[in-house]
Amino acid sequence: MPTVVLMDASLSMTRPVSLEQCSEELQRKNLAVAGLTMLFEHMANNYRLEFTSLVAFSSLWELLVPFTRDYNTLQEALSNLEDYDKTCLESALHGVSNVVQQEWGHACPTQVVLVTDGSLGIGKGSLRHSLQTLKGRPEDKKFPLPFPFPAKLFIMCIANAEELQMTDTMHNLEQLLQLNGGDGQIFTMEGQLCLKSVQSMFGRLIDEVYSPFPAVLRCGNLASDVQVFPRPEPVFLDEEIDPMPRHILTDLEIVGFIEIGDISSPPVMSRHLVLPIVVNKEVDDVGPGTTEEPEEETSANQQAGKVPNFCVLLHGSLKVEGMVALVQLGPEWYGMLYSQADSKKKSNLMMSLFEPGPEPLPWLGKVSQLGPISDAAENPYGEDDSKSPFPLQPKIKRSYAQNVTVWIKASGLQTDVQKILRNARKLPEKTQTFYKELNRLRKAALAFGFWELLKGVAELLERECTLLPDTAHPDAAFQLSHAAKQLKLASTGDSQYAAFDQNINPMHTDFSGGGAAGM
Amino acid sequence: MIVIGKCYYFICWLLLTSGPVGVLEEIWSPEKNSHRAEPEMKMFSVSHKTAFVVDHCPYMAESSRQQVECDVLTKSRGQGMIPLAPVSKSLWTCAVECSMEYCRILYDVYPLKKLINYIVSDSEFHILNSWRQEDQSTHELMSALAAVGPPNPQEDPECCSVLHGLVAAVESLCKITEYQHEARTTLMDTADRVANRGRIICLTNAKSDTHVRMLEDCVQETILEQNKMAAGSDRLMSIQQCELVLVHIFPQGEDTLVSDRPKKEVSSLLTSEVHSVRAGRHLATKLNILVQQHFDLASTTITNIPMKEEQHANTSANYDVELLHHRDAHLEFFKSGDLHMAGSTSRDSGLKETVTLKWCTPRTNSVELHYCTGAYRISPTDVNSRPSSCLTNFLLNGRSVLLEQPRKSGSKVISHMLSSHGGEIFLHVLNSTRSTLEDPPSISEGCGGRVTDYRITDFGEFMRENRLTPVPESPDTEASGKPPAERAKAQLERYTRYWPMIISQTTIFNMQAVVPLANLIVKESLSEEDLLTCQKTVYNLVDMERKNDPLPISTVGSRGKGPKRDEQYRIMWNELETLVKTHVAGSERHQRVLDCIIACRSKPPEEEERKKRGRKREDKEDKAEKSINKDSEDKSWQESERLKGALERGKEEQGESEVIKDSPDSPEPLNKKPRLDEIQLPEKAKGPVSLLTMWTNRITVANSRKHQEFAGRISSVNNKAELYQHLKDENGMDLHENGKATR
Repeated sequence: MPTVVLMDASLSMTRPVSLEQCSEELQRKNLAVAGLTMLFEHMANNYRLEFTSLVAFSSLWELLVPFTRDYNTLQEALSNLEDYDKTCLESALHGVSNVVQQEWGHACPTQVVLVTDGSLGIGKGSLRHSLQTLKGRPEDKKFPLPFPFPAKLFIMCIANAEELQMTDTMHNLEQLLQLNGGDGQIFTMEGQLCLKSVQSMFGRLIDEVYSPFPAVLRCGNLASDVQVFPRPEPVFLDEEIDPMPRHILTDLEIVGFIEIGDISSPPVMSRHLVLPIVVNKEVDDVGPGTTEEPEEETSANQQAGKVPNFCVLLHGSLKVEGMVALVQLGPEWYGMLYSQADSKKKSNLMMSLFEPGPEPLPWLGKVSQLGPISDAAENPYGEDDSKSPFPLQPKIKRSYAQNVTVWIKASGLQTDVQKILRNARKLPEKTQTFYKELNRLRKAALAFGFWELLKGVAELLERECTLLPDTAHPDAAFQLSHAAKQLKLASTGDSQYAAFDQNINPMHTDFSGGGAAGM
Repeated sequence: MIVIGKCYYFICWLLLTSGPVGVLEEIWSPEKNSHRAEPEMKMFSVSHKTAFVVDHCPYMAESSRQQVECDVLTKSRGQGMIPLAPVSKSLWTCAVECSMEYCRILYDVYPLKKLINYIVSDSEFHILNSWRQEDQSTHELMSALAAVGPPNPQEDPECCSVLHGLVAAVESLCKITEYQHEARTTLMDTADRVANRGRIICLTNAKSDTHVRMLEDCVQETILEQNKMAAGSDRLMSIQQCELVLVHIFPQGEDTLVSDRPKKEVSSLLTSEVHSVRAGRHLATKLNILVQQHFDLASTTITNIPMKEEQHANTSANYDVELLHHRDAHLEFFKSGDLHMAGSTSRDSGLKETVTLKWCTPRTNSVELHYCTGAYRISPTDVNSRPSSCLTNFLLNGRSVLLEQPRKSGSKVISHMLSSHGGEIFLHVLNSTRSTLEDPPSISEGCGGRVTDYRITDFGEFMRENRLTPVPESPDTEASGKPPAERAKAQLERYTRYWPMIISQTTIFNMQAVVPLANLIVKESLSEEDLLTCQKTVYNLVDMERKNDPLPISTVGSRGKGPKRDEQYRIMWNELETLVKTHVAGSERHQRVLDCIIACRSKPPEEEERKKRGRKREDKEDKAEKSINKDSEDKSWQESERLKGALERGKEEQGESEVIKDSPDSPEPLNKKPRLDEIQLPEKAKGPVSLLTMWTNRITVANSRKHQEFAGRISSVNNKAELYQHLKDENGMDLHENGKATR
């Protein structure tokens, strides 16, 4: 989930903080930079796969750093930030929207971290003005929220809540969140504006949004501590019946294995890297000050690299065998683990989450009904792996998989009539097909109450009968007049002849050969 | 390339569909919803229940005056033959076939949870099916419709009305569906969250706008009435929201007496809209648009499908096929505003917007796992046209087709895939944007990445054995306890009780000779035959040991050539014991396998001592094991802790063996003399186990079950029992132990 840091670079950010105990003069901007520095440092150490970009704004906006994992660049840009004029949030949000769409399209969930002092401009271009003029805008001047992509908006105020509530700023920011579908949060500073309080505010953001997701991956008694990246988001199932968000368990238990061909490119809600980690219980991983010495870290990494890890074994075998592991994420919630190759050399253990529910993939059926092959009387994969119990077939065939009759277009009806006539001319060889087509037409005509058609086709058959050449097989005439008679009877609606499930059977004649007798 | 059956018919199709262009209608405007407000967020939305009310009054028997030429080919046959007069459908036939088409599309796209109740109304109402899922199929409805037949023009028009049907529809909407019932039962306290909404689609021939208003009022009143009744009933639910869609059908060439009216609120419970449509093609189009609106469908046209025609095998022509599916398959398009760029056109045949995607001829049948963000069932708009059936048959035969999104820039972007799964075709949405997970650290750079001797092949074999299979639901399986998926997990637990991850950590799993036992011991229960195989495996190992066969023991971490042969066997036996011990609690036969190993293996003196030292540890182990059996579902940490213990012990043993080897107290090098004694036992001395040996063993085992075995023989090794063992026990350690025979 990429992050856009949207930094207020307006003049009001340079307002000094009134400090009682501190001698050094600090601007709000300094506090913001300190907070972001802490965030970047945290990401560089604990969340380094996150792509982050930095956008600064005043009345204009500028993309200072495009999406990157290089946190030094971000840090550098932050420290070279200049001061500009007034705040104009609307255009900046447009900017964010563009930047994200260009890079990630419209499906990628994004996090926007807006850092501002809470003075959101005055007059035209101010947030207040934007919100007041929300309605009745032309299509091309719509307010940028909600973003066309899923986005969480985190508003980091270099101000305390009381300060914001004195004006309508807080109200405006809340409105902004609402416009975003309520996705996000407003953070304010507690107590005095100082380095400590800004750090505590960013600490809260880190805890909620940028802390790694630790889990244990298990396959029976084999297990590995892992980190799941990006953090799996809570999922809402049915806002009405089940309004509580669902979270994935930190215990990921493998249920069994399925061939890639059988699972067959299933739809997934999100994808996550599963990275094996060494859980160091002594070290408190929270706290920004604990920057480990790089040397120590590498040697620790080397050590960890030499200890056999289940993830690596699993990944290797999944890759070689072309299989996926079905993993349980929660009650009635499943996902799959597989090997994902990024390039020719690099590959990784990846986890995709299916939609929560007892039956996420119709072709697998209910996951709770998937059992070990040893339970089956006979190996469903065959002794030589030539078979597969998947995919499951639906109970009722879809319309395109059965020979349905649709006469909405005249062509549909004409084709069906022609088929009958074509077979009629090839009687008695085509007796079976003739009656099959005839009965299909009969059924549909009866269902649609289209008795006129039955009469019409009966007449056509009678005419065909008269047009039979002298060389024709005598059986042809019998069958044609028999069929015509039956259709006519059906067209009266007489329940004796017009039953839906009844079929017209070929007439038994002295001439009818094996073909008709077999019916 | 698809081979088309008969090109002849094909041309007919092409000629006949180039009809006049109809009214253009916008069917969906891109919504400004945020990503969360997807239409499927509510299961019990208005579209959960749809009641069709079709007018069966005498006037519906009237002709639609749209004529269909059945006898198309007669003209070409010439001969001055009089062609058959064209047939024309009645208003009833038009209404029925268009409503069936609505149902066909709905059932294709939503085979479950979107229910239809079909009601026919004349002098009374006839309910043709119920809300039950098993009643939901076009075949079921067609059969019921055939029984109803066309309206009787002779019936007294005074006593016939569509009102009977509308009242029945409201009553029906109050009836609880199995899904509502299930949701209410599971929610218990919050059962009131289960909503009851529904839609009534009424196909009728109304007399005037006033008549329409009368129908609306009637529905409104009935809802109020029924809601009162429902309030006092467990089996009924009051209606919270009802959408009435009135479709007035009139014959071609007549002027309508009823005006179109967009959706308006009649009350807080009822909305109503009126569509005034000519019978025939216009009605079909209207219902096609309605089914799309009601169920959030969208249209995709697959273009450039190459089809070979049978009669001109050398040439191929390109055809288009239009499919309907949930509109989320186009989410990316209409969020980006790319809709028009993506090739959205208004097709004259469908009278609606469709997104055009280009067919990409599949290369091979390679099995690939695509990153797919959604899969939606499809229904062809024109299901029995040749191109449609060619495409669907091609897919049903198991081929997948990638679809390309045409872009102005000319760049090629694969955005979708068509694929069938078990007779159902799905439109998969493939991710075509940059991934945020790009360039991750390779797994070889992380934890355990430097280890090179993982048992990849063995784990692959393990995965094959632990593949899943659907188990039919039956009351028996529930009675017998665990659901299949839990049994699968339990099997994984059993199979991994002792599973070293790397080759150098194990001896037994590198030995072909152990395979039969290793495969069987993990089973939940052993048959007598299984037990025998296990015992044979053990005997075989004993034999190998006696013959001094080399073992594939890892030399990693030890100096020189690694442990000596006898040490190797000791390590092997220990490991085998470890494996089998983890399963002894499984059954009595599992225990007998362990007994067999203990009885057969040679035990050097140190072993005894070590055993004493290790007894405490094993006791703990046993306890852990018991607790696992009590509750193997909750095998959490304890279990893996135990496993670690086992592994550590394994290491310790290896460590120990090295110490012993280097210690001055280590036993004398192998003395050849005792071995000579052994050679005198003829049947065991030569090469691999002979048939005779196997037979003898078998008989011995079988016989041994019939009588109590001599105590001496039980504790014997290679048929040698040590006498006066108690003396040794009393004196503590004794170097002259029977195990020495093989040393």
